[in-house]
Amino acid sequence: MQYHRQRVISGKGVGRAEFAEALRGLAVDAQDRLYAVGDSKLVVFSLQGELLESWATERPGYSVAVTTSGTVYVGQPGQVQLFDPDGKPLDTWRDADRMGLVTAIGFGGDFVLLADAKDRCIRRYDQHGKYLGEIGRDNRMKGFLIPNRHLDFAVDAAGVIHAGNPGKHRVERYALDGQLLGHWGRFDGRDPAGFSGCCNPTNVALTRGGHLVVTTKAEPLVKVYTTDGRLLALVGQGDFDPNCKNMDVAVDSQGRIYVIDTARLQICVFAPADSDSTTQPAQPGAGETVRP
Amino acid sequence: MNQRPTRREVLGHAARGATVVGLGGLGLYLARKASGESVWQINCDKCVNSRLGAVGVEACDLCATDCVLALSAVRAVNDHAKCGRCYICPAYFDIKSAVDEEGLPSQKLCPRDAIERKPIGWIDPDDPANNFYEYTIDEKLCNGCGECVMACKEPAGLTSIRLVVRYDLCLDCNRCSIAIVCPDEAYDRKPLDEHEAAG
Repeated sequence: MQYHRQRVISGKGVGRAEFAEALRGLAVDAQDRLYAVGDSKLVVFSLQGELLESWATERPGYSVAVTTSGTVYVGQPGQVQLFDPDGKPLDTWRDADRMGLVTAIGFGGDFVLLADAKDRCIRRYDQHGKYLGEIGRDNRMKGFLIPNRHLDFAVDAAGVIHAGNPGKHRVERYALDGQLLGHWGRFDGRDPAGFSGCCNPTNVALTRGGHLVVTTKAEPLVKVYTTDGRLLALVGQGDFDPNCKNMDVAVDSQGRIYVIDTARLQICVFAPADSDSTTQPAQPGAGETVRP
Repeated sequence: MNQRPTRREVLGHAARGATVVGLGGLGLYLARKASGESVWQINCDKCVNSRLGAVGVEACDLCATDCVLALSAVRAVNDHAKCGRCYICPAYFDIKSAVDEEGLPSQKLCPRDAIERKPIGWIDPDDPANNFYEYTIDEKLCNGCGECVMACKEPAGLTSIRLVVRYDLCLDCNRCSIAIVCPDEAYDRKPLDEHEAAG
């Protein structure tokens, strides 16, 4: 399985489609529109990198997710803001104790799931923001091990949560009721199938085909695995600033992978080599920068 | 009868006053320096081993090799308040070494084995990944080579380890041999209060 770098979207700057200080969260909606949050704003791009929308958030965004009906959730320090598809604020769930730093948002069954990096766990809410319970905290470490201060997860079609536990060099699977179903992953600084450094993988996404896409730091990389941990592809070697960490990742319906370069404040797009024949692959090391 | 001072006289008084104040400040500065209040210090924002952004480069060991003392007056310290207490610490282990039967890197990073690793709190005997670990640097062994500082730097680690001058050993040389060779001008002489504020 191979991917090529297709293009680069956004970048460091003060324009509407750029980010001045931080770019932290990504999501792709059902129409394959790309949502990016950072600074104190949200930007919506077409998959070609054209600016579609941009609106302000109350606080700096750390994560973003979009429901099938188009409601946009933005995770922030101490709260989650909800917007309609046009950017009109719908609601704000405030809970400084349980939403210390919301670094991931997902949907499973009728639940909204929020990762709180401050408290090192995932929390389950109903669709009106009522707190229902915790996931990943019923262990002797009282939560995930995230020295990198970032907790990320993805939810598959069956409602299974796949969460990175970087301090243990694992991806763990949880049921929506919080039961630990299993885990895979191991430390290895030489074998690319393992996870190196103090704490990897940092970020997690799922393809529609059910593969797991994770990112790692030091060295910044994208890796594609089966859900039981068989390495399928290494993506983006040499494409990211080496200072990147906690690079959020999202996948569209065509299997294209979107990854944040957290140092250059760019979104790198990688397409499977065996698809997307309508787009020309970039020359090695030379991605097309799109700044609408 | 009082006469108003001329403009020339006012300016003259002001200039004399400024000169007195300036000479006083200089004298005070020299007095403080002479009394040893100015000390050698390492600026972590300049030192390549701890400076954020400088990744993918070799650790600089000039503090270890160029001090006039047999054991350098520079050593590494771990700020436990910032440390992640990781199961696999890239400053303790050589994370590129082969994995042993326990799933850990088989080699340590420190060439002098100066870092001690021990689990803290309630210890899980069955799963070592289920523990927090404390990493302490033995100052009797550390020679300030900077390997652990570089390995702990973000994004690989949390930048909790840094190099410091041990003032119980430092001879306070007028022309410090480390400062002379430091390519980043990170080894600098600062008044004690500035050093403490930076520290």
